[in-house]
Amino acid sequence: MANLKASLNLRDKGAEFWERSPKWRRVAMAMSFIAFCYALPFLNNPLINTPGSDFQSVLFYPVGMYVLMAIGLNIVVGKSGLLDLGYVAFFAIGAYTMAILGTKTALNFWEILPIGVGLAMLSGVLLGTPTLRLRGDYLAIVTLGFGEIVRIFAVNTDSIGGSRGIAGIPTPPDFFNAKFTILDPKPYYWLLLTFTLLIIWMVRRMAARRPGRAWDAIRQDDDVAQLMGINTRKYKVWAFVLGAAVAGVGGVVYASQILSIVPDQFNLNISILILACVVFGGIGNVWGVILGAVLLAFTPERIRFLSQPRILVFGIALVVMMNLRPDGILPKKKREHFDPNWDTVEESGEGEIK
Amino acid sequence: MSEVVLELRKVTMKFGGVTALNEVDLVVKKGEILALIGPNGAGKTTVFNVITGVYKPTSGEVVFQGQSIVGIKRFKITKLGIARTFQNIRLFGESTALENVVTGADVHSKSGVVGAIFGTRRSRREEKANLERALELLEFMGIKKRAGQLGKNLPYGDQRRLEIARALATNPKLLLLDEPAAGFNPAEKVALAETIKKIRDAGYTILLIEHDMSLIMGVSDRVAVLDFGTKIADGTTTQVQNDPRVIEAYLGAPADAS
Ligand SMILES: Nc1ncnc2c1ncn2[C@@H]1O[C@H](COP(=O)(O)OP(=O)(O)OP(=O)(O)O)[C@@H](O)[C@H]1O
Ligand SMILES: [Mg+2]
Repeated sequence: MANLKASLNLRDKGAEFWERSPKWRRVAMAMSFIAFCYALPFLNNPLINTPGSDFQSVLFYPVGMYVLMAIGLNIVVGKSGLLDLGYVAFFAIGAYTMAILGTKTALNFWEILPIGVGLAMLSGVLLGTPTLRLRGDYLAIVTLGFGEIVRIFAVNTDSIGGSRGIAGIPTPPDFFNAKFTILDPKPYYWLLLTFTLLIIWMVRRMAARRPGRAWDAIRQDDDVAQLMGINTRKYKVWAFVLGAAVAGVGGVVYASQILSIVPDQFNLNISILILACVVFGGIGNVWGVILGAVLLAFTPERIRFLSQPRILVFGIALVVMMNLRPDGILPKKKREHFDPNWDTVEESGEGEIK
Repeated sequence: MSEVVLELRKVTMKFGGVTALNEVDLVVKKGEILALIGPNGAGKTTVFNVITGVYKPTSGEVVFQGQSIVGIKRFKITKLGIARTFQNIRLFGESTALENVVTGADVHSKSGVVGAIFGTRRSRREEKANLERALELLEFMGIKKRAGQLGKNLPYGDQRRLEIARALATNPKLLLLDEPAAGFNPAEKVALAETIKKIRDAGYTILLIEHDMSLIMGVSDRVAVLDFGTKIADGTTTQVQNDPRVIEAYLGAPADAS
């Protein structure tokens, strides 16, 4: 227990250190972290290596992919408080867009990417607009159904390969020196990492501005949010659609790497696992979510040498962790913030209003 | 004479068998403080809920600035210019005081998700303007030093003041205050009365629910009295004070006592 307390303090200390740091130090820290992430495929550390599977592949899938998707799902679940159990559907839509257009047209990866993202967003709007008026459990059930419907639709539609799926998906064209081939997962990892960083940056911008406040309000008290003039429906659909867009990116990249997809890859388990990453890491806190996704994606690979019992061991570890830290490893924690200017005001209540 | 901001016409609100409001007529004029009083359960909060679109009246009309607002979505009613506070404080407890108020100020912003992502000039301008307005309002309510504290961590009285600041941030043409002085000590009540008058003098129109008679007599321009969902009096403070029906409602005819 003392250990856990210490880790909590560590978190606070870290946040404080960050807040007190001058801009140059923040930039330097962020830059080194990013550089570290890009260098990861070259790290040959026995602690983090994955005996039984190729470390560089593991970095791309599942680790990188889970992190990306967890960040996307966190917009939906963590920011606006909507429970989406069919998140895999948007991943599938991105992947199938890449597969279909990649095999049947001359479009390349970069041309298909916006189409895949656009279609994922469109399906987000179509699913979200009628259903987001539902609350809690009902929304969870409807989204769960949607996830399954997309998969079953793919299984039963022969023109997109039915249950055999689609093979021969083209890889992205060379990008300067980076060659995208099935043999080398590194460029894919870097591509995914770049998208992930871009998305984190966008999410942070939104969180600090009006949409972030609107989502905070909706999550805390939907009725009052409406009475404060927030178009709650619109902001919920936005959260849903942005989450869908992120999964769409993931799907397109994924399909271009593994070259052939089958519908059963897009099963309910993925939705549940991504949700588990979000909850396990700490709903609403992007760093917690990332950590959660890394651990949940990486651990089963790291302990692959245990072969059969590994999922059991993993499950037990999860249950134990969730009991020790029910709010996740790095829960969202709103820190109070003080500006010296606010403290010096004479509270005479004198101010003027317009 | 003076311009009508809000008019309730024969508003009836039934909850199953309970008639919370029975053909209530009410007129709020621009720039006044109208107090809405009545014993517990008289239907005062229900009037607010009907005005702000929380409930759709069973029958009757609610006309705001010449436009019927029955059936209009809640957020649109707020955009049109009606803001409220809550009898049981309902702040965004996990957001800071400042964020609570900025959330109110966001109502009239044009930029949304796309503006935020791309950091458009309009988004940045609106963010800055809303932040400044929020700080101004916190200062006006005397709680600027609380700006960075979470709503739930504010002392009780400051939470009530914060609710007023948040409502004012939406720049309402009509401000609805539901028992803003509940739980206040006499000194705090006096200070709040001054604040409410200052809000009116700044050009706002206020509909105020309150139980404290001296506060009501001190601030209101007019008083309307509800009893069991029916409006039983409406007039100046002196008129209402001397109205036998009001006295009866408050002192309670023996037959009504339960
Ligand atoms: N949602 C509801 N469902 C059922 N009955 C309700 C509802 N809202 C209000 N009522 C009833 O309507 C009546 C008026 O309630 P209201 O809250 O408007 O009274 P009030 O005048 O604000 O009282 P108080 O001074 O105690 O705040 C009460 O009998 C109450 O039980
Ligand atoms: Mg009430």
